[in-house]
Amino acid sequence: MSQRLIVIGGGGAGTAAATIAKRFDPDLKVTVFTEFPDIAYSPCGMPFVHGKEIPKFEDLFLSTVERYREDGLDMRMETAVTDIDLDRGTVTARNTHEGFDKLVIATGFTWQKPDVPGANLDGLHYVKDIRAAAEFDKRLDSYKRVVVHGATPLGVEMAGGLGRRGLQVDFVDEGPWALSEVLDPDVAEPVHKALSDRGVTIRMGTKVQGFVDDGNGRVKAVQTSDGELECDAVVVCLNKLPNTDLATAAGIKLGTSGGVAVDEHMRTNKDGVWAAGDIIEVPHGLTMLPIHGLTGAHAYAQGRTAAFDIVGRGARYDPVWIPWGMHAGDYTVGGFSIGESLASSIGVPYVLAKGVGVNKARYYPGAQRIHVKLLAEPGTLKLIGGQLHSAGTGVKERCDFLAFAAKRGATLEDIAYMENIYSPPIGALFEPMAIAAQNGLNELYKLERAAAV
Amino acid sequence: MSSGLVELQARLRDRAEHHLRMDAMRRLRGDAPATVEPYDDHRGLFWRYLFVPLYRRIPWEIKQRAIKAGRMTASGWTPPSREPSRPWQPPDALKRP
Repeated sequence: MSQRLIVIGGGGAGTAAATIAKRFDPDLKVTVFTEFPDIAYSPCGMPFVHGKEIPKFEDLFLSTVERYREDGLDMRMETAVTDIDLDRGTVTARNTHEGFDKLVIATGFTWQKPDVPGANLDGLHYVKDIRAAAEFDKRLDSYKRVVVHGATPLGVEMAGGLGRRGLQVDFVDEGPWALSEVLDPDVAEPVHKALSDRGVTIRMGTKVQGFVDDGNGRVKAVQTSDGELECDAVVVCLNKLPNTDLATAAGIKLGTSGGVAVDEHMRTNKDGVWAAGDIIEVPHGLTMLPIHGLTGAHAYAQGRTAAFDIVGRGARYDPVWIPWGMHAGDYTVGGFSIGESLASSIGVPYVLAKGVGVNKARYYPGAQRIHVKLLAEPGTLKLIGGQLHSAGTGVKERCDFLAFAAKRGATLEDIAYMENIYSPPIGALFEPMAIAAQNGLNELYKLERAAAV
Repeated sequence: MSSGLVELQARLRDRAEHHLRMDAMRRLRGDAPATVEPYDDHRGLFWRYLFVPLYRRIPWEIKQRAIKAGRMTASGWTPPSREPSRPWQPPDALKRP
C-alpha cells in the first residue's frame, strides 16, 4: 500500500518537497495544505511591481494549482492546518483529521510586528500575500506619503520601489545606516545616495515610537524619536520570524535562533517529520551557529533535500555560506558569509583585502567600478566573508562564486591568481576580486617583511 | 534540552547578538560618510557595559569552545572540512618571505 506524505505550506520549501518527492516516488500520495488561495509565485518580486519595474503581479506566478494537480498532487488551497497529532499521525484541517505516514512542515515565517502603540491600526502593510499586495498597490495610486519602517533588505527594496513610483517616502530605522545588520558602514554612502536619488528621505538612528490614529482606526502619522511623520500608509519591514506555532504545539524542537532545529537531512527531532524553509534554522558554515531567515533559493534547496530523504535518496544539505545581493535603488550591493561588522561583533579574527576594478573593459561603454572587500582567516588566509558593490552589473555572480570558493576552503592566494574572462562587454583584463586579493596579500607581505626586519 | 531552556538560550543569544552588533557598528562606523549614531534607549546597561567589553577580551578560540560547550552550535550537521586539496601556489617570487 502506498504511503501518504502531507506537506504543510505552499511556499518555496513546501512546493519543492511535494513536487520532488512525487517525481521520484510516483506511488507516494502527496497532499499540500496551504492557507492561501495562491501558490507558486515569487513574493521577492513584489517590491518591483510596486515600483513599476515589473508590469503586473500576474507576472510573478511560476505555475498554477492546476499544473500541480496534473502532476498528481492533492492540493488543498485556503485550508489551514490547525493541529498536528504525531501520536496518531494526523493533521487537522477544517475540523477533519487526515492521516499521514510522513510529514513536512514548511509553514514559513511571519513578519515581526512593531511593539509600539497603534501597531494594529489600518494602513500598516506587510509584504507577504500577493492578493493583499495587489490591493495595496491599487491604493498606492491615491497616496502621497508613505513611511517604510525597517532598513532590512525588504525595506530597502520597498523604499526604493515606492520612491521610483513618485511617492514621498520616509525611510525610518534605529540603526546607524541602511542594512546595518548585514552591510558594512563603508557602503552606506552609495546605498543612501541611490535611495535619495529616488526621492527617499533617509532617517536612520530614528526610533518608531507609535502610530497615530486618524480617529477612524487608520494610521495618519508615525511618531518617531525625531518627530511626527505624516503618512497615508506604513510599510512594515522588520525581521522575519519563523512561524513555529504549529510545530511547537506538536512537540517539535526549536533551536537557539528560534527556528525549528533540523539535521542535515531536514529531519526534525520527531521520526517521520521533516521541516524546511523559513521555519527552520541551519548552521552558518564558518561558525556552525544556527541562523534563520534566508532566501527563497535556500528554502527551495531545503525542500528538495527533505524530498530526497523522504524517498530514500539520501541528500545532505551543507552549512550555508550565504551569497546575497540586492538592489538599493539603482545600486547593487552584495556579499557572502560575513562582513566586517558581523565579524567584529562575533569576534572572528580576520585580515582584509580590498580593491576596485571594473565590470567590463574600461573603454567599453557603460563600464562601472566594482568595489570588492574580502575577509580572510589570519594565518591560513582562507576566505571567510566579503562584500561587493557597484553601480553596474557583476556583483551577484561574484558573490555566488566567492561563497562557493569559501566553502571549498579557497585562500586569498587562490583568488589573487585565479583565471578570469577578458571580453570587453562582460569582463576586464584584471578581475576585481583578484585585484582585491592581490592588494590584501601585498599589505600582508609588507607587514611580514617589516616584522622580519 | 527542555523547551524552557531552549527559549532561554534563544533569548540570551538574541540579546547578546544585539548588543555585540550595536557595539561593532559604533566602533566601525568611525567617520564613514552617511552613517549616524544608532538610536540608543539606554536599556541593556549590563549587556553594553559588562558583557560586551568582557566578550571582546576573550580570544576567538576560547569563545568558540564556550559556544560549543553551551550547545549553541547546530547538532546533527557535518562541519565543512574546507580542505579540498592543496591549493594552487603562487610562483616563488610572489610567495611570502
